[in-house]
Amino acid sequence: MTVSLVVVSHSAKLAEGVSELAGQMAHGKVAIAAAGGTAEGELGTSVERILEALRQVASPDGTLILLDLGSAVMAAEMAVEQFTQLQDQRVTISPAPLVEGAIVAAVESSIGNTLEEVADAANNAMLLPKLQS
Amino acid sequence: MPVVEHAVVITNTIGLHARPAALLVQEAARFQARIQVRSGEKTANARSLVGVLKLGAGLGTTLVFQAEGDDAAEAVQALIALVERKFDEE
Repeated sequence: MTVSLVVVSHSAKLAEGVSELAGQMAHGKVAIAAAGGTAEGELGTSVERILEALRQVASPDGTLILLDLGSAVMAAEMAVEQFTQLQDQRVTISPAPLVEGAIVAAVESSIGNTLEEVADAANNAMLLPKLQS
Repeated sequence: MPVVEHAVVITNTIGLHARPAALLVQEAARFQARIQVRSGEKTANARSLVGVLKLGAGLGTTLVFQAEGDDAAEAVQALIALVERKFDEE
């Protein structure tokens, strides 16, 4: 098993796109679930959708949640609380930028790193220069 | 512990961008050896995607792989081969 990822976004399309991109980098070795939009299919976040994604990719090695915007934190925290009440599995919410963080996390998880290592690496993704100087 | 070092020039057009860098990290992780990759003044742990991306190594850059451990020779050989075959992308 490897550390799994949940991609939370206010947009379902964005969550799916980021999951697709990160999944390609991990060559199918990492379980990644998208949790975007509200239950009604509108823009926003949904505790139920995040919880469903957490269940879908539950891993004994833990799960890292990546978020598009800070306003997704509360829904993510509520979903994590409900999830960990029922399952004894570790979930960490990452402050990393969504795209870079998801790609770095997917690759770091694909090589068998621990949840702490994957989370640390994702945090460092914010140090990546977009433009080479 | 045996230490093996070998240099290779990047020949794929986009250099060590996200996908090639990810492949390099995944290849490095197949081995037990501790592997460092150097580009000019910068050095990175070959198992760290952020570290490898921060090298900012483009086409024509020389990468030096240095591995330490029982499988150091195999590790360096595999990484050199990956760079030489342009990360299977071209």
